[in-house]
Parts: sequence; C-alpha cells; structure tokens
Amino acid sequence: MNAVPTVFVIDDDQAVRDAISLLLRADGLAVATFASATVFLESTSVQQPGCLVLDVRMPGMSGLDLQKQLRARGSRIPILFMTGHGDVPMAIRAMKAGAFDFLEKPFQGELLLERVREALVLDVRQRVRQARRAEAAARLALLSPREWEVLDRVAAGQYNKVIAAELGISLSTVEIHRKRVMEKLQAESLSDLIRTLALANERE
Amino acid sequence: MSRFRSVLARIIGLVDTARDEVPNRSETRSSLVNDELEERVRARTAELMAANQALEAQIAARVQVECALRDSEERFRQLTEHIREVFWVYGVAEERLLYVSPVYEEIWGHPAQSLLDRPLEWIESVHPDDRPRVRAAHLEKLESGVFDQEYRIVRPDGAVRWVWDRGFPIRDAAGHAYRIAGLAEDITLRKLAEDQLRRQQVELAKTSRLSLAVEMASTLAHEINQPLAAIVAYAQACLGLLRKDRIDPRALTGALEEVVNQGLRAGGIIRQLRDLVRKHPAVQTAIQLNALIHAVIHYMQLELRQAGVAPRLELADSLPMVLADDIQVQLVVLYLIRNAIEAMNETDGEPRELVLRTTLDSPSTVLITVRDTGRGLGEEAAARLFQPFFTTKPSGMGMSLSVSRSIIESQGGELWATANPDRGLSFHFTLPVHSSHELSPAP
Repeated sequence: MNAVPTVFVIDDDQAVRDAISLLLRADGLAVATFASATVFLESTSVQQPGCLVLDVRMPGMSGLDLQKQLRARGSRIPILFMTGHGDVPMAIRAMKAGAFDFLEKPFQGELLLERVREALVLDVRQRVRQARRAEAAARLALLSPREWEVLDRVAAGQYNKVIAAELGISLSTVEIHRKRVMEKLQAESLSDLIRTLALANERE
Repeated sequence: MSRFRSVLARIIGLVDTARDEVPNRSETRSSLVNDELEERVRARTAELMAANQALEAQIAARVQVECALRDSEERFRQLTEHIREVFWVYGVAEERLLYVSPVYEEIWGHPAQSLLDRPLEWIESVHPDDRPRVRAAHLEKLESGVFDQEYRIVRPDGAVRWVWDRGFPIRDAAGHAYRIAGLAEDITLRKLAEDQLRRQQVELAKTSRLSLAVEMASTLAHEINQPLAAIVAYAQACLGLLRKDRIDPRALTGALEEVVNQGLRAGGIIRQLRDLVRKHPAVQTAIQLNALIHAVIHYMQLELRQAGVAPRLELADSLPMVLADDIQVQLVVLYLIRNAIEAMNETDGEPRELVLRTTLDSPSTVLITVRDTGRGLGEEAAARLFQPFFTTKPSGMGMSLSVSRSIIESQGGELWATANPDRGLSFHFTLPVHSSHELSPAP
C-alpha cells in the first residue's frame, strides 16, 4: 500500500515499450516495463498500486488473457489497452471485460498521459475504498450473534422497546448491546453505524 | 412362301400320278422306257426340290433384310425425331437438303418442310453478325464435306439461340463425298452458362485482387503502427522534456536516435511489402513453391509469433517449378496459414502445431499441405467449408476459403480439406508442374 503508484507498460515491441516509458517518465510518473504478460504476472508488481498500459495483441499470453487472469485473482487495477489496426473487436471485448479505456496506435502522448493519470486516481480511490471495506468487515467480525440481532433491528429503524419485545429481553439489555455495538464498530452516531454496515455489505 | 410349297406339292402329285398310270397303260412297253422315264422324273423332282430350297432361303433372307430395314428405319426415325439435335442430310449432286429432322422446327421456329422447299432459309436465319462466317464455312463444306460452326440464329419471334452445327462427308465406293450428314444442336443454355462462368471468373479475379489489396493494406497498417506509435511517443517525450526545461542531452539524443530508427523500420516494412508485390506482368509464371512458402512465412512472422505458433516446414528437396500466378498462390498459402492459426486459437492449452508440406504428387503435379491441430470441423460445417460467407469464426467474413479454392482451380489445381486422424484439419492443394521443369529439379 505504501509503494509509489506505478504505470506498468506491457508490450512485446521493445521500441513501443521504451518510447511510452520515456514519455511517461518525462511527465514525472513512475514506470516499469515488461516484455510479456507472463513476466508481469510472475513479478511482485502484480500486487502494487498503479495502472496497466497493455498491448492487446501479444505472443503467448495476450492482453485479454492477462486481464482475465488479473480479475480472477481479484485485482481491480485499471487497464488501458493499446490496440493496433483491426483490433477493434478485441478492444470491444476488453471494454466489456471492464477495461478502463483503449487507445489506438499510434496515439497522442497527451491523451495517454491524461488517461493514465485518471487511471491512477481511480486505482487510489478503489484501493482506499477497499481498505475501508476491509476495516469495516474486520470490525463487524467482532460482534457476537446477539449483538448482530440487535444491530440488524437498529439498522432497520426499530425502537429499542420493539427490539426488546421481539428478542424477549429487557430494554436495558438492548441498550447495553447497542452501546457495545457502537464501541466495537467505532461509531459515533447511528449514521456512522449504518455507513459501516453498508460499506461492509458493498459488492466489489 | 406357303403358296410356293402348295404349287410344288401339286406338281409332285401330278408326276406321281403319271408314274402310277404308266405301267397300267402300257405293260407291253419295254421296261427300259419305264426305267428311263422314272429316272427323269426323279431327277426333275430333285431339281425342283433344290430350287425350292434355294428360293425359300432367298425369301427368308429378303424377309430378314426387309425386317431389318424396317427396324433400322424405325430406329432411325425414332432417333432423328427424338434426339434434341437436328439431323440433316445434304445431297452434293442434288445441291439441296435431302432430309432434315422435325426438331428443326422446335429450334429454328420454322417448319422443317419450309427448309426443304427453301434450302437457303437456314442461312437467312443466321444472326447477321455470324452470317458471313457461316456462309463461308458452308461453301467450304461443299468442297470438303466437313462443317463445324457455332453460330446464333434469330427465330421468327425475334429470340436468339446459339447452335452448334457440324457435318461430315458420306463417301461412295470411289471415295467421292456425295452426301454430307450433320447434326445441329441448340447450345443456348450452355452458352449462357459459359457466359455466366466467364463473368464469375472476372468477378473472382477482381475479388481476389481486392482481397489481396485489403490483405496487404491491413497487414501494412498493423505492422507500421508499431514503429509509428513508438515515433510519436518518443517525439512527444522529447517535447515534454523540452517544455519542462529538463534538457538532458543524453536522454534527448537517445530518444531522437530511436525516432530515426523507428522511421527506418517503418520504411523497411514498406519495402519488404513492395518486394512481395513487385512487378507482376505475366499472370502465370514458373514459380518455386518452397521459396514462396518461405516468403509467406517471413511475411506472417508477427502473426505467427503472436499466435504462439512455430510452423514446421517439410518441404520436398528437389521440387520442380509450378506454373501459377505467384501473388494469388501466396494469398492462398497466407489464407490457409491464417485459417490454421485461427482454428488453433480456439483451442485452449492444446499443442499448436502447424505443418507446411510440399511433395511431388505425380510427375505433373505438386501437392501442398497445410496441417493444423485445431478443433477440426463437424460434418455439417465440413460440407459447407468452401461456400462463400460460411464461417465458424466470430470475426470472419467466410470468404478466404472459397476465394482460395477458386484461385487454385483457376490455376488448374484442386483444393480440398481432410480431417487429421488425431486432431485438426489438413488443407491440400495441387498445382501443375511447369512443363519445361517436369524432370529437372528446381534450384
């Protein structure tokens, strides 16, 4: 998480790889280049924050295959595809599979830089959100079954009295459970509580 | 015949009676006379019997001939009246048509009788454009007895029909052609089919040229985009550095050198492509297939590499030259290789083997095989494989195999596919060996 967001350029054409790397570095971005999708997948970079600038058509594992592999591993890193002439059907497949964007070779350097910056911002946002989601899930895991029952009903907007009657416990017991839940979830208010719950329940 | 027999019987009966009467009337006559008479009667009877037999045989033979003649006349009539061709007989001495079969009316639209009455009618019905040629051939026919012409006729209803008319001489014992017999056939449908075929071939030639152009343009675009993308990125990186006043001469020099290199690389790609299509005057030339296959493989390097396919070449050592249009054959090889690549792209994790083989199939044919380890085809798909616009691929047009087959057939070869015993398909095509190279091995 503390690594510098990096642009991973993956293209089998050495000149293209080198030129794009230079272009991005000239703009002050951290760049790492890879000659094939396989080399990238096997490197530690695959865990790091940033974005991918990926050639759609490569020998061995294609750009589309790499996209599939990354998604299967749960990686949400944004992917900017580069396509050659006549690769439009592939580009469409890439977009359907959740690609960030695609650029047709040769492309304007300005456009690449702009899209790369947007991709990096998206990646940071996604990672922050993911971290918060993980944190919320971790806190919720601390709750006892009884506290869950109370939380469910509080979140549904029920009054303590109703909850006590439904669960067959005293009002003061409900209040104690409720206080514990607030503490465990580090919630200051009912809206904090509900936000944490919603965050944890969010689908990726 | 039975009448002859009964007459004969009566004669024999009279003789017998006379013989019986003789001894009764003149018993006193000498037995010598008796004997002599008897002997004469016997001889006469034998003569008559022999004559009778000869006559009977003659009659039988004549009846047979008559029957055979009637049969053959009947057969002739049936033949001439039922075949689709007009049968005609021209008498050289008579200087007119002696016979014309009734189907004349069906083809020409005039009754056959009118042709017998006005012998020159047929030449009047010949299309004006063809008439001089046909008239000349007709005069020639009167000399040689031989006639073989295709011409158009204009029917009374204005319809035009194509006729194939040919005659041959019938000679007498002295070898003089005294008659000319002939057949005239309505070949309108065949002519139309030929016309259509010719039009299709012209279309096909255009199509294959067009696919070739599209093919070249597409490959050119794809290959040139790589150095172009690099050039643009390098140049813009330089601009970025300059704008930010981060002028590191080494970085700028390196990037600009790369701009130059990539520009040269793009030029090289164009040159290579130009070599491939350079000057192509003769449609069919003597070509070395092995070299052609090497050239196509070289040209497709990128595509093969990207598909993760390394072709295995099993090329015959001393292959004779073939006679073909090299650009078109290149296109076919390219299509078959691409087809194999695409077939293997559809399989997951299976080995991708592409084999290109050339063999001398017979002294006059070379066989080329492109073998893949793709998914193969179902029976239904296999049957439709060479139909235009048939494809099993999501992005295909379904033209390449049908164009390939037409190209090979137009070069005098054949193209077909077989399923491999293990997996995948093999495509085979043949090309005729260049005649002057049939025996000498290629360099």
